[in-house]
Amino acid sequence: MKKVLALMLCFALTIGCLTGCGKAPAGEEAPAEGQNETTEEQEGAQAPENEDPGVELDMSKTVKIGVLVSDSTTAESLAFQSYYKDYIASNYNVELVYSDELTDAAGEKSAIDTFITNNCKAVISFSSFDRMAQLEQCAGAGIYYAVATGTLTDDEYAQVKDNEYYVGAIGPSLEIEFQTGYDMAKYYLDQGKTRFAIFGGAIPYYTEMHIYRAAGMLTAMVEAGGGDYQGASDKDAIIGKLFETASIETGSIGSVEILGYVGGYDMDDAWFAKCGQMAQTEGLEVILAVGNGSDFFGSSIAGTDVKIASVDAYATAYGEAMEGGMLDYLAGKFSASIGPIFIATYSATLGAPIRTEDGCALALSQGYWVATSAEQFNEFYAVDSSTEAPAYTKNMLDTLLGTDYATFEAFVSKYSFEEIQTMQ
Amino acid sequence: MKRERQDKMENKVIVEVTDMTKMFGSTVALSEVSMVVRTGEILGLIGENGSGKSTVTSIIAGMQKANAGKMTYKGKDWEPVSMIDALEHGVGMIVQESGTVAGITVAENIFLGEMSGFKNKAGLIDRKAMNRKTEEILTNIGIDHIKGDMICGSLDFQDRKLIEIAKVMSKNPEVLVVDETTTALSQKGREIIYEIAKKMKNENRAVIFISHDLDEIMNVCDALTVLRDGKIIVTFSKDEFDEDLIKTSMIGRELKGDYYRSDYDGSYSDETVLEIVDGNLGNQLIHFNLSVHKGEILGVGGLSHCGMHTLGKVLFGATKLEQGKVLCEGREIKNEADAMKRKIGYVSKDRDVESLYLNASIKDNISVGGLDAFAVKNFLIFSGREKRYAQKQIEDLSIKCGSMEHYVSTLSGGNKQKVVFGKWIGRGSEILILDCPTRGVDIGVKQAMYQLMYKMKKEGKSIVIISEEMTELIGMVDRLVIMKNGMITGEFQRSSKLNETDIIQSMI
Amino acid sequence: MMRKQNFKQQVINLTPFMGLLLLFAVFMVLGTIKDINVAYGMKTIVNQSIVVAIIATGAVFIYTLGSFDISLGASAAVSALTGGMAYNATGNLFVAFLVCIGLAVMISLFNSILASVFNLPVFVTTIAMLSVLNALVLVLIRLNGTGDEIAVPSAAVKPLDTIGFKLVVLIVYWCLCAFVFCFTKIGRKQKLLGGNPICAKLTGISDKKMAIIAFAMAGIGVGLGAFVSIVYAPTLTRNTASSVGMDVIIAIVFGGMPVSGGARSKIQSAVIGAFSMTFLSQIMTILNLNSGIGQMVKAAIFLLVVFVATFNQRNKMLPR
Repeated sequence: MKKVLALMLCFALTIGCLTGCGKAPAGEEAPAEGQNETTEEQEGAQAPENEDPGVELDMSKTVKIGVLVSDSTTAESLAFQSYYKDYIASNYNVELVYSDELTDAAGEKSAIDTFITNNCKAVISFSSFDRMAQLEQCAGAGIYYAVATGTLTDDEYAQVKDNEYYVGAIGPSLEIEFQTGYDMAKYYLDQGKTRFAIFGGAIPYYTEMHIYRAAGMLTAMVEAGGGDYQGASDKDAIIGKLFETASIETGSIGSVEILGYVGGYDMDDAWFAKCGQMAQTEGLEVILAVGNGSDFFGSSIAGTDVKIASVDAYATAYGEAMEGGMLDYLAGKFSASIGPIFIATYSATLGAPIRTEDGCALALSQGYWVATSAEQFNEFYAVDSSTEAPAYTKNMLDTLLGTDYATFEAFVSKYSFEEIQTMQ
Repeated sequence: MKRERQDKMENKVIVEVTDMTKMFGSTVALSEVSMVVRTGEILGLIGENGSGKSTVTSIIAGMQKANAGKMTYKGKDWEPVSMIDALEHGVGMIVQESGTVAGITVAENIFLGEMSGFKNKAGLIDRKAMNRKTEEILTNIGIDHIKGDMICGSLDFQDRKLIEIAKVMSKNPEVLVVDETTTALSQKGREIIYEIAKKMKNENRAVIFISHDLDEIMNVCDALTVLRDGKIIVTFSKDEFDEDLIKTSMIGRELKGDYYRSDYDGSYSDETVLEIVDGNLGNQLIHFNLSVHKGEILGVGGLSHCGMHTLGKVLFGATKLEQGKVLCEGREIKNEADAMKRKIGYVSKDRDVESLYLNASIKDNISVGGLDAFAVKNFLIFSGREKRYAQKQIEDLSIKCGSMEHYVSTLSGGNKQKVVFGKWIGRGSEILILDCPTRGVDIGVKQAMYQLMYKMKKEGKSIVIISEEMTELIGMVDRLVIMKNGMITGEFQRSSKLNETDIIQSMI
Repeated sequence: MMRKQNFKQQVINLTPFMGLLLLFAVFMVLGTIKDINVAYGMKTIVNQSIVVAIIATGAVFIYTLGSFDISLGASAAVSALTGGMAYNATGNLFVAFLVCIGLAVMISLFNSILASVFNLPVFVTTIAMLSVLNALVLVLIRLNGTGDEIAVPSAAVKPLDTIGFKLVVLIVYWCLCAFVFCFTKIGRKQKLLGGNPICAKLTGISDKKMAIIAFAMAGIGVGLGAFVSIVYAPTLTRNTASSVGMDVIIAIVFGGMPVSGGARSKIQSAVIGAFSMTFLSQIMTILNLNSGIGQMVKAAIFLLVVFVATFNQRNKMLPR
């Protein structure tokens, strides 16, 4: 009896699920209808927009936007989260729905399913396991999709730029990543330093942005030292070399020397020992890190003259590291840098998407703020961490709502600390 | 009926229970029970399973609470909050089920929760002192083969029971409840308990003694209270003890028919169905040879450690011989599955652990033995067939239960044993190996079991009864072998002249 | 009295299912109030529950024996990655399917056979297996060349990425498991073995044989789960199925399965638990509780369910 009852109930559940799917086509229709509305609104909004940029948009309804979170512990992600949670969410009529920390493509898909269920009108993604699949899924459900940080490769962009649901990406292009590495190395080469070690971060995992940053460093060294890196002497050849080996060889580049290299994030005892060893290499002057360097090498160089340069974000830990001499140079993302992509996404949900003149999705580049002293860091940090007056305030961002591409592009391209300060 | 008893000066009332009622759900376990326990007296409680004797004592000892009624202890209201509380105030109880922790030492068991008393200056437990104290306590009650640093799990059932006794006795209780403890013990263990009881009596303390064994209870106790269906039926003083009268009051009717078998025809077929050939296993079996014949009830007797319990397991293939073979109709039995294929069944001495799955239903317990018997194509199980199979066993053996879906743990000892029998008989076992089959079983059920065995014998089935109860062996078997130190030291054929004295000669 | 007791027992047995219905109701009500796309939500819930439901259903066999397998998630990951590679090598999805099932069953059997050879508790070998499999995941990904993923073209799996296909997989497998569990000798023997191994041995039941069968059944589930994972998200990385191992354990317990196994084991626990968990997560999302608070609420509800489901067992004072 008991078993029969249980089985019947299970059966009922299955039927429940099946009816759920039975309704699914109807459910798919619902967003499709919304889609039509959007298009209509779009048309309605676009027409006057051309005459009068900065058109009044109907912001009375709360818009739900899903945020795919790939990491909720690093300084960078915490800074980003804080900007969205503490500033954006309280200044715009939006409800941001966050995913759990995602670890794979299945998680991304599942989280987007949840966003669709919750009637989110757009998804802003910090997670990059399978961006094409993310976009495809969002477009299928008729909701907008934007890349929060980083950029797509040229191939990827070519595939999706005409997709009306793809808002775009604003972040350091690979060109900027290369330049960031180049500038960092050049800063020290100009000071007459010649003995370097490099921390390669995710180079062993073929992560492009890290490879480009490292290529920038090596290119600067080739130029200053007058030799070549493993037979490669120009930018493209060096990039090619790094993609081939997924590692950096130690040795001389003319008068410049690479004394040590560590890559990966194994984080086990052997790996930490290797880091410690590298930091204490005799004669070493500078450790260039493609990512966070001070956390892994800071304690080993305490009390020595070795300098560390890192790429990351404006977080308290780095300020302390700078004051403690464990960090000398920081190329850091500012947390408000994710403001414009939010506006582009929000604007799209309100029926005023921002597209290029050809109607393509955004692919804009934005770089880092570079601090070379604790004072400078503190100045940047004060602005970056402010929840009252962050780098991009509501007033500044409001000018972008429903604006045209040229205005938007001009705004995004002036990203240095000084430029932003003058905009305010 | 009230007991007329001349109170001696020293026999003061120490515990008095008035109108106690205890319900389990809507089952009445105790109905307005009133009784007194006196100092300098061993009071026996007897009754069939489920009569309420354990319930009343467990309430006195703080294990559970009554729904209604009043208790006094030494003249004051008595409401112990737990067994520990009761023991601290002088009321101790040795329970039916094993209450020791297997993974820790004997000393740790005895001083469980009180080890801080052995802290040395460094704040560490002084294990040596604790072990010494433990051994002192054990010696006091006449146990010298158990040491304080032994791990409890490595000891056998009897020794663990003795540790429990020691644990209670270490508190020097005023009132001691012995709840069917002797069932689990060998003669030696029993002697220890009897000594403790006698000693307490002489020191003018009180003992409540619960047992199924009528002979034992009549020997040990000064007075005997009979319970039935949660009520007190009668209390006898020592001079009123009469076996038949007691039995009749226990079951509420006269015991009709034969108790054991009545014939002295010890004949059986010559055909050997099960044999052990030159079996060797440590000191448990030494060059051991034994044959069981078709239609034979073979008894195996001896003291607890003589090897007879091991013999039972060896015959069933559950324990491997170091040397020699077990053969069933010429084929070797290598494991339990082999034995079951050859229609051998085995009822363990440690019924609750080895023969039953207490937290499963009666149906599950019966049917799991008979899967081969009712599975379609020897594989598929259909609920209807399974239920009919289980129901048949329940009816054939008159197992008293509300539903076959009830957990076996809710049954009385006798009914539990019937379930085990059902598990083996239902599948058509031709040979049954019964290790202490009537342990913890009340008289009514015992009688039914003896009659069942006799019926099976007549059907040509073979039965091996391993037992420590001589009367049962004499009463039932065609042939009796007595074991000592892993060897057969005596063999007796069924006869009206067979008596315990002769047998015991070959045991010791 | 007996009737009353039976009724009470049934209520307790049904607690996990009632919990699921309650969560379902809450989801529907909240969904309606909060303007949720409920129809899409049901689809989402199936998608999010299906892999855990399938793998956990097989794992019930292992739990029934009173054992557990900590390497199920890692085994699913290795099977999925290998299945993905098999597809990329052959272009045949059926080959990928067979590879997933075959490998998962092999891993599972290896666990149980190793345990029986060395006479160890099975979960000990699964702990060792967990490390081996995790290392294997990295090796497989590295072998594949790109260094961070094994991607099956999404177009290849798209035709199967439907709720219908996934539910069919779950239902067929569940029916197979339910059949073995409830209608064959195997299920009975496993329950007894889980509840009282000594008694089981003395009833002629071979623990090794039963362990091997249980692990083989679970292996099929892992393989199916791995294949459904590929279908759902064809880009496989080092973290693929990384949370499955833990989710399976939670789902089984959440579904009312006693961790100690035995007679009260229920084959439906896994599905009920997996769906309950997903409903709960969805409810947390609807309420927009941030993941920290959400996790705590989930934990509290988890404890509550287990408490109610085991209430009867712990609180039993038997009449004697």
